Amino acid sequence: MYRFLIRRILGAVVILLIISAVTFFLFFAIPRDPARLACGKLCTPESLEIVRHNMGIDEPVFLQYWHWLTAIFTGRDFTYGHCDAPCLGYSFVNQEPIFNAIVDRFPTTLSLTIGAAVVFLFFGVGAGMVAAARQGRALDKIASSASLLGASMQIYFVGVLATWILVDQTQILQRPTYHDFTANPVAWASGLLLPWLVLSIIFTANYTRMTRSSMVEQLSEDYVRTARAKGMSTRTVFLRFAWRGSMGPIVTIFGVDLGVLLGGAIITEQTFSLHGIGELSIKAVENQDLPMLLGVVLVSATAIVLFNIVVDAVYAFIDPRVRLN
Amino acid sequence: MTTPFLSVRDLTVDFHTEDGVVHAVDGLSFDVEKGTTLGIVGESGSGKSVTNLAILGLHNPAHSRITGEITLDGDELVRAPKSQLERLRGNKVAMIFQDPLTSLSPYHSVGRQIGETFRKHTGASRKEARDRAVEMLRRVGIPHAQTRVDDYPHQFSGGMRQRVMIAMALVCDPDLLIADEPTTALDVTVQAQIIDLLKDLQQQFGTAIILITHDLGVVAGAAHEVLVMYAGRAVERGTVREVLGSPRHPYTWGLLSSMPRLHAPVDVPLVPVRGTPPSLINVPPGCPFHPRCDFQALAGPDMCRGERPELSPHRGHGDACYLTPAQKQDIFIEQIKEHL
Amino acid sequence: MTSPRKRAAATVALFAAGALALSACASGGGGGGAAAPSGAAAPTPTQDTQAVSKITVGTAQDSTGPAAPEPGATKGGTVNMIDRDDFSHLDPARVYLNYNSSASKLFTRQLTEFKTAPDGSLKLVGDLATDPGSTDDNGKTWKFVLKDGIKWQDGSAITSADVKHSFERLFASFTPEGPPYAEQWLLPEGEKYTGPYEGKHLDTIEAVDDKTIVFHLNSAHTDFNFTVAMTGFGIVPEKHDTKEKYDKMPYSSGPYKIVSHVTDKSLDLERNEFWDPATDPIRNAYPDKWHMEFGVQSLQSTDRFIADNGTDKNTMTFHNPVAPERLQQVVNDPELMKRTVRGLTPFTTFFNINTSRIKDVKVRQAIIKAFPMQQERQLQGGEIGYGKYATTIMSPTVLGYEPFDLYGKLAKPQGDPEAAKQLLTEAGQPNPTIVYAYNQTPVQEKVAVAIKTGLEKAGFKVVTKPLNSTTYYDAIGHVDNPYDLYWGGWAADWPTGYTALAPTYDGRQIADQAPNYSHLNVPEINDAIDKAAAITDPVEAGKAWAAVDRQIMEQAPIVPEAYQTYFGLYGSGLGGVKFDIVTGEQSPTDVYVKQ
Repeated sequence: MYRFLIRRILGAVVILLIISAVTFFLFFAIPRDPARLACGKLCTPESLEIVRHNMGIDEPVFLQYWHWLTAIFTGRDFTYGHCDAPCLGYSFVNQEPIFNAIVDRFPTTLSLTIGAAVVFLFFGVGAGMVAAARQGRALDKIASSASLLGASMQIYFVGVLATWILVDQTQILQRPTYHDFTANPVAWASGLLLPWLVLSIIFTANYTRMTRSSMVEQLSEDYVRTARAKGMSTRTVFLRFAWRGSMGPIVTIFGVDLGVLLGGAIITEQTFSLHGIGELSIKAVENQDLPMLLGVVLVSATAIVLFNIVVDAVYAFIDPRVRLN
Repeated sequence: MTTPFLSVRDLTVDFHTEDGVVHAVDGLSFDVEKGTTLGIVGESGSGKSVTNLAILGLHNPAHSRITGEITLDGDELVRAPKSQLERLRGNKVAMIFQDPLTSLSPYHSVGRQIGETFRKHTGASRKEARDRAVEMLRRVGIPHAQTRVDDYPHQFSGGMRQRVMIAMALVCDPDLLIADEPTTALDVTVQAQIIDLLKDLQQQFGTAIILITHDLGVVAGAAHEVLVMYAGRAVERGTVREVLGSPRHPYTWGLLSSMPRLHAPVDVPLVPVRGTPPSLINVPPGCPFHPRCDFQALAGPDMCRGERPELSPHRGHGDACYLTPAQKQDIFIEQIKEHL
Repeated sequence: MTSPRKRAAATVALFAAGALALSACASGGGGGGAAAPSGAAAPTPTQDTQAVSKITVGTAQDSTGPAAPEPGATKGGTVNMIDRDDFSHLDPARVYLNYNSSASKLFTRQLTEFKTAPDGSLKLVGDLATDPGSTDDNGKTWKFVLKDGIKWQDGSAITSADVKHSFERLFASFTPEGPPYAEQWLLPEGEKYTGPYEGKHLDTIEAVDDKTIVFHLNSAHTDFNFTVAMTGFGIVPEKHDTKEKYDKMPYSSGPYKIVSHVTDKSLDLERNEFWDPATDPIRNAYPDKWHMEFGVQSLQSTDRFIADNGTDKNTMTFHNPVAPERLQQVVNDPELMKRTVRGLTPFTTFFNINTSRIKDVKVRQAIIKAFPMQQERQLQGGEIGYGKYATTIMSPTVLGYEPFDLYGKLAKPQGDPEAAKQLLTEAGQPNPTIVYAYNQTPVQEKVAVAIKTGLEKAGFKVVTKPLNSTTYYDAIGHVDNPYDLYWGGWAADWPTGYTALAPTYDGRQIADQAPNYSHLNVPEINDAIDKAAAITDPVEAGKAWAAVDRQIMEQAPIVPEAYQTYFGLYGSGLGGVKFDIVTGEQSPTDVYVKQ
């Protein structure tokens, strides 16, 4: 198990290195100049040079990448200030170390993700299991239709609509804002309730359908029949046997979803004016802020790679066949 | 006269599907006594497994309709409540399935799977259940049972897995053991070991066994009585000696002819039963076997496609065929036996 | 005042999803931007343009405080401001965007500033200076005298040394982003200067005494007093200059000081006790506090203003326009319309004609004649969502603006193919080929089709060439680019003809990535620009610039498209929310919380 983890983590580091290099070189492969964008309307060639130097993009690209890479371990001095290790660079636009920006934004994204995940996992898997248990009956049909409806929703539609109804018109819910969890857990939860619910609508549907089909598949497995033939109660069969087996695919998708969400739920953050990683990434692209772009790309990639490892570990926990091979 | 330990009367199992009603079992009756083994043989789809799942009440009531009577040790099972059946399963009646790899949960250790059955029916503690599991594994001949009890099914070989399956089935000392193709997935030497194991256990505990198989060789070695099924019905019934020694039904002849023999000359070809098994949605009228039967002309014009033949006589060696006993005997001796 | 559309362009390109394209600007432009539902402005109410009929230079009397009170206004309370983006810079030396200027008005003062009269006319007055400056050598030497009682947030006096320092630090390497004028005009010929931090100073900026500052320009600039009204020339204290870090936390010379600033999240201001209203002719500064939040898309802010709940009642926005999706709803609701702010921004849009490829002026004129202005604007959002038809280069917000319509576009906004054909025949090129390059967005795809259809009616052959948004400006910025027609936009840095015309049509300034995208180089026009720039009297200068405008349009280097409009909402609990003609946004100076 430890060897497995170490191997996977080393692999992840290599993947992240490759991703950072690809992002870096792709950024410069397109003929555009972030300095030009920052420099203003009547930018003179002299000030353009200065801006380039301030941004650190006056060096050859390979050298820039090398400096970026070494700064992660050693820190680095920029025109606008010092950037402590682990230094992921200095934003072209905000003039702050990327690492600080990410540390500042990550709790929002993390809270959004965790809260929504709890909601959609609970309702999605729950509804899917009910549907599977009541196969072909009314509850199953309701759950299946609702999930189809939910899956066809778009956040920028549901989100705006939900805000309009629940916040603007009836004021049942609070306007989404992020409060520090450690300072005030109640404010934290009530401030994020709406985004959690809206984000969950879309995801819940997916989990309902997946859980249902996975459960139905498991229920027709031979070993489930064996369990029933042993006199196990319907509930035991359902929860201990079929459910365990059906968790595999759900854990896999859940890991991917978590990874993606932690990389920034871009549309959700935009819809609710939340200041998370997603908003950072949009700004980074918009402002051609290479260091920020690299930073958020790495956060997303790390989240995805990390959750891949976690999924594999969980998978091994669920299924001894994987564990012992 | 005492009632048999297990008595099945006029059992009918229908499944409702989108294509129509599948008549999987149609008016089946048989008995099993304690300490004896009934072999049920037939091609796939003949209703062998369906019958036995019906005994345990394992069909989904939403999709199936079961009529008739199943009496086990005096208890009626067809209309029994779910809780009663749950208490019965794994306890008084246990089942072994064909493929031990897929039939054992891959997610739980064998000890746990054996133990949980024991706990369910006896209320034993974890520790007691574990000890019992080790004991059972030892009894079915698994070496190092003490350590292997924590292993998972995929860590066992095929034969060992089936032993685990048997250990699990026998953990509550069942009175009736239903073994559904217990040796089909195993290689020949292991098959023999498993059959021997079942026989030993039967002698020790006096268990009644229903042995479902398509392999007459297995039946010959392990069963006392045989029931040959075709299209959800019994076509021949009797002791092993009767049915295999002097079979009366053309289908039984077909089965025997299609069986490979160790000592047969190499140039004698195996003759599979002609044609394909019938659709259970549109069962042929009369004798369901008649479209595949080479001898229907002998029974008289339109005899075989008219009324459905009943199993007769009611006791002892019976068969469901319109040929006269003399015809049956002649055909078997003159045309079939020499090829076996 | 660089184009906000450039920023929008980048966004739209990389996030094609419509939801993300809710850009900072009112609606889509040729350079990119959000789609507006076509027909959004169908029931066009008369646009209250507040066009600047008059821009004048005020007197010392006009420059004294306090500002003209707002009827019914009371002091106190907190005004909230929500907008899509945080202010990219707060260090005056790095401020060029209007949007940044709007916020800076609350804590940064310049030598001069614009005062808006109730009739919408503008007056240039002294802000820190007692009057809008004086020159006695036709604009080469400018003298400003500081007011009494102007103070920093620590109570210390603002002196001429601070002014000198503020201008000298414009040369430092960490402030390349602001307007370049001072660096160009205050550096003596052949010298190099890298800012005051190593003890070197510029003799061209002379602090005569504590109150008097004199600028010796290297060339005559008769509207230098307009130039220094830009936030880019705002004051920075020598003592509290934190250099690179000043951008995060500027030191206040205005009515408010910064309490906290969390990048891209929020900015909180509270009163600067040392600001004396008697010194300030512009800022009323009614509220006690300002709370600003960023990251609010225009659809969200529009919905919040419409719902008008709780603290949103006391909320305004500087920049967020009414979202295109809600335009119709707002226009049709008289109650909502009472809470709207409308006006013409200094931003004009047009299609550059590449004069180095299309050399025949008759062909260029034919393009203008044939151009389907109406169809094309409808696709962009119509009058309310996009702008008023433009027929000149200078916008109505520029001093001296004269309306003229050389090519009869207002009479036939749908295009006049017959007249165009006539011109093409005269030119001896009945079927010239035009390469139209555009920014590839869904709206611009449609616009391209409309333009192609319109021009082809007159006999042109049109080749459309979609460009990637991120590289659009780089592509059209090359002097030897292979395109004939491409969209552009321009806003005057201050409302005189000089910044409206000189950078974009002075043929001596053609260079790669320079703003003369049409590459017009006509010696007579270059001369006319020089002559107009030399006129000291603002009224006379205005007339001269209007003449230059006409002269340029005769050469047909662009197809004028629109004078961009602003249309925004605010909460019902606020009064005194006005449109600022110079920034083209909602103004913070007269806002108050209704009691």
